[in-house]
Amino acid sequence: MAAKKSAASKAELPPKVQKASRGVKAPATADVVVIGGGHNGLVAAAYLARAGMKTILVEARTELGGMALTGDVDGIRAPMLAHTVGRFRPRVARDLGLQGKVKLVEPEARNFAPHPTSGTAITLWRDAKRTAAELATRPNGDKVAAGYLKLDGRMRRIGGYFEKVLDGIPPDLDGGKSVAELLAGFAFRAPFTGLEEGDGREILRMLPMSAADLVNEYINDDHLEALIAWRGSRYNASGPISPGTGASLLFDSITGDGADGGASGETVVAIGGPGALIGAIADAARGFGAEIRTGAQVTTITELDGRVTGVALASGEEIIAPYVLSTLDPKSTLLNLLGVEATGPELRRRLRATRNTGVTAKLNILLDRLPVFPSAGSAAEQEVRLRGRITILSDILGIERAFDSSKYGEMSDVPVVEAMIPTLIDPSLTNDKRHLLSAVVQYAPVDLKGGWTADARKTLADRAVAVLETVAPGIGGHIVARQLITPADLQSDWGATGGHAMHVNEGFDQFAQWRPLYGIGRYETPIDGLFLSGAGTAPGGGVTGAPGANAAEKLIRHLRRAAE
Amino acid sequence: MADRYDAIVVGGGHNGLTTAAYLAKAGLKVIVLERRSVLGGATLTESPVPGYKFSVASYLVSLLRPQVIRELDLAKHGLQMAPSVGTYTPHWDGYLDRRTDHADTLREIRKWSHRDADNYDDFKQTVTDITRFIRPAIDMPAPDPYGDPKEWLEYAGLAKDFGHLPLRTKGALLDLITGSAYDFLRRWFEGEPLIGTMSASGIIGTFLGIKSPGTGMVFLHHYFGEIDGSFREWALPQGGTGAVAAAIASAAQSFGAITRTDAPVKQVLLRGDKAIGVVLESGEEVYGDTIVSAADAKHTFLDMLPAGSLPTEFETAIRNFKFRGSSAKVNFALDGLPTFTAAPPGHGHLMGTVSISPSPDYMERAYDDAKHGHPSKRPFLDMLIPTLVDPSMAPPGKHVATAFVQYAPHKLAPEHGGWDNIKEQFGDLVVDTISEFAPDFRDKIVGRQIMTPLDLERTIGLTEGNIFQGEILVQQMAFNRPVSGWSRYKTPIRDYWLASSSAHPGGGIMAAPGRLAALEILKSKRGEA
Repeated sequence: MAAKKSAASKAELPPKVQKASRGVKAPATADVVVIGGGHNGLVAAAYLARAGMKTILVEARTELGGMALTGDVDGIRAPMLAHTVGRFRPRVARDLGLQGKVKLVEPEARNFAPHPTSGTAITLWRDAKRTAAELATRPNGDKVAAGYLKLDGRMRRIGGYFEKVLDGIPPDLDGGKSVAELLAGFAFRAPFTGLEEGDGREILRMLPMSAADLVNEYINDDHLEALIAWRGSRYNASGPISPGTGASLLFDSITGDGADGGASGETVVAIGGPGALIGAIADAARGFGAEIRTGAQVTTITELDGRVTGVALASGEEIIAPYVLSTLDPKSTLLNLLGVEATGPELRRRLRATRNTGVTAKLNILLDRLPVFPSAGSAAEQEVRLRGRITILSDILGIERAFDSSKYGEMSDVPVVEAMIPTLIDPSLTNDKRHLLSAVVQYAPVDLKGGWTADARKTLADRAVAVLETVAPGIGGHIVARQLITPADLQSDWGATGGHAMHVNEGFDQFAQWRPLYGIGRYETPIDGLFLSGAGTAPGGGVTGAPGANAAEKLIRHLRRAAE
Repeated sequence: MADRYDAIVVGGGHNGLTTAAYLAKAGLKVIVLERRSVLGGATLTESPVPGYKFSVASYLVSLLRPQVIRELDLAKHGLQMAPSVGTYTPHWDGYLDRRTDHADTLREIRKWSHRDADNYDDFKQTVTDITRFIRPAIDMPAPDPYGDPKEWLEYAGLAKDFGHLPLRTKGALLDLITGSAYDFLRRWFEGEPLIGTMSASGIIGTFLGIKSPGTGMVFLHHYFGEIDGSFREWALPQGGTGAVAAAIASAAQSFGAITRTDAPVKQVLLRGDKAIGVVLESGEEVYGDTIVSAADAKHTFLDMLPAGSLPTEFETAIRNFKFRGSSAKVNFALDGLPTFTAAPPGHGHLMGTVSISPSPDYMERAYDDAKHGHPSKRPFLDMLIPTLVDPSMAPPGKHVATAFVQYAPHKLAPEHGGWDNIKEQFGDLVVDTISEFAPDFRDKIVGRQIMTPLDLERTIGLTEGNIFQGEILVQQMAFNRPVSGWSRYKTPIRDYWLASSSAHPGGGIMAAPGRLAALEILKSKRGEA
């Protein structure tokens, strides 16, 4: 991805001037240049090459993967950022022939939630009935269990609808279509009419809701409500009470065609870490004839009279191409790689106001042994329960309190911590008894007051460990190494504007065809030949490959139309 | 032998009276049954401090439909409204004083930001275009997504108009429907007091913060405002908001409607799945062909109907309908005008709204307190001094100030011991908040009336003290208000109708639900619906 600084410095220069100042050697040519070698860029490149286009993918970093990386912590292979790949589109895997090339596994226990003070714990199993059976032993348990099953059923049915639309390009709301379609987003598509009326009505009601309200209509159990609603705000600058997080929660629960979300959400990992999936997609792309370059940083998307002409690289080299598909975040693509004369002041003004404040940090902790979580039961039981996501939170207001600080540039006193122990599921990551705990830490705003100094970084890591101590006493004593990646790092090292792991904040307000903005939410841009993709476009972030596949499909359709 | 009516309207607030007026005007024999000894509901003028008249609950009129004023000839029935001009926002480092004169307004805004002044006209134009486009929707019943296609025909024009809106307007409309008031304003502005004050339109009566998505919708709801067609105007009814109810009541009576006060309805009488009358607390029974409830959805469906008379799914949906009152009202009797530290000369800045909303962070922190069950340590205040426009509200030379206060969460954290326990403290907090900007305010007070959310619930019957009879949330508007599939004033009980702000298009002194319900009832009596 384009490192922000150098890109920004070029941003205000007219592209043509730069073209004149370039051209050291004869420029390469391609039918399409894909910017960004993350999962979406690679998926897009594979689809475009498969369609017979001469495709060159350029990645600024020296390694492919973007935010789906398998890194190294003192000899142990670790998921550097994303640690699950649960929602990767089966359709994409089929189209690109990835089956068998990478092994995806899902533990029986999807989500273990030890309560920080009460000593109790909740486990959400892949099998909802097993979950309900355990929930029944909680206070008011029968009601809670019944509510959970009811919610799970509703979320699976609605998730089945989303599963279908995830693979599609959001429909055009324009051209005098009904206001109701505007309000309902793409609700009037065929999959919607396939739903039972009750579920259809509930989608139209639930999308703008807060995840907290949505869950509370089914369940009255502070801890369980928080655990499920949290998924509506995970990785995002919102709290479970923020309206619109219902949409994120439902999207994280897609079900059908190999996907299986529901109230527990998927917890699928790739054997060998997310990097293994990336390797498989890259091989597929190369197999279709795509050329992939790393260490190739785009400084400018060149254009002439509103028509893309290619890209200019930091090396001074240029690639001439009539089409460019960028998987960088929309602000990097449209504000930094293009000049104002290309994008125009109106689009820049609206785009600047899109929300992309990163609040999520990643902490990788190397441990000299498997940590002990007493509330998970016997050692044997822990082996099973600790294989999924380990989420540490207490109640809705607790998450909100953690969120509140971030609104004023402060990190949470008690952050929400969601950890995985990949070495437990995937022994291939290590060759000794050590374990790696991979933790999402929220909320830690990119615009931290006083900046992300060494002290600030230590404070955040210490607070996260303190949270872990409440449920795994003594874990601190087994830490061999810590690796912290803050939103500021995501901005500087990964080029994500605002350091947002999802590129653009998720929620009903930046959703479907109005993600990142209405008018550029269907992958096409006002600049002829420039297509947007990546987590900042529909259907959003997460290792799904959907934005890459959809944008590529849109470009290919565009070519077919042009050919006719 | 009990009386028999064509229509019984339960609740004598402005919507109930409006429904009664339209039905009576159409020749129906109508009776309005009001629980309290005064008509008006939340549009109410009372004198808890002798000699001083307060608009007890609602305090400004902006949304009252021009059709209602015209069709019920409210002017003839004594409705007089004076425009409330301008908004004055005191700030620690000065003030922002926006009045009607455009050049002055721009000059004021430029004091805080040149960029804001340059963008102001574009903002105004965008919002005007949006409200012009969407406003017809508040004078039509909402179409149901699974409803009769002809419900959608009414919206064909609107859909066509949408197609013709410029992209930027469409985008801005979407931003409002899905986003936060703060993020919407941020697209044009940066000035602290300007964004702070303008964003207040996004939270009034809502249990959300200015940065919460969904508040754009509330913002839009408040910008529908028009008085007799003139755009985005707020007005003070002469004699307080009670005068609005009085005028509508007088119109209803002139068409032959009977209005009975001190007539609390205990329950709706059913025969099978059909409503046939009501029984009062007194045991008296009143019979009618059509029963209309102008009470909120909770009273209408959960309190006034015999248990088990509703389909389970519908009842669950009503239980899920959110109220969550977030505001209080504190009214003051003053023996003189307060002096604000940072203010222009004269009293001009006190003629309109005095808004204590100095910055976005001030507003957001006020919400943070409430979210966790506390009254805001430093609340947002929307204060009026109606006596400057309407001296009849107080003895000669004296004044009344009416302060809308947010946040005052209906559901308090346990440590507060309930609203009755902290009521006076809360009143003092409001005095302190105003005195921070007008130090002599506290010395001018000769009496005060505190209406906590609990008081609004107990006295006026607003569930959880929610001033809109149900939160203005995207998922509770249009075809989802109050329940998806039941947004057109009909209910699962035959001949039992809903005409309150719990129905489309929602709350505010609009009288739109009352009018639209009446028109639907008359249609069905003609056998058209």
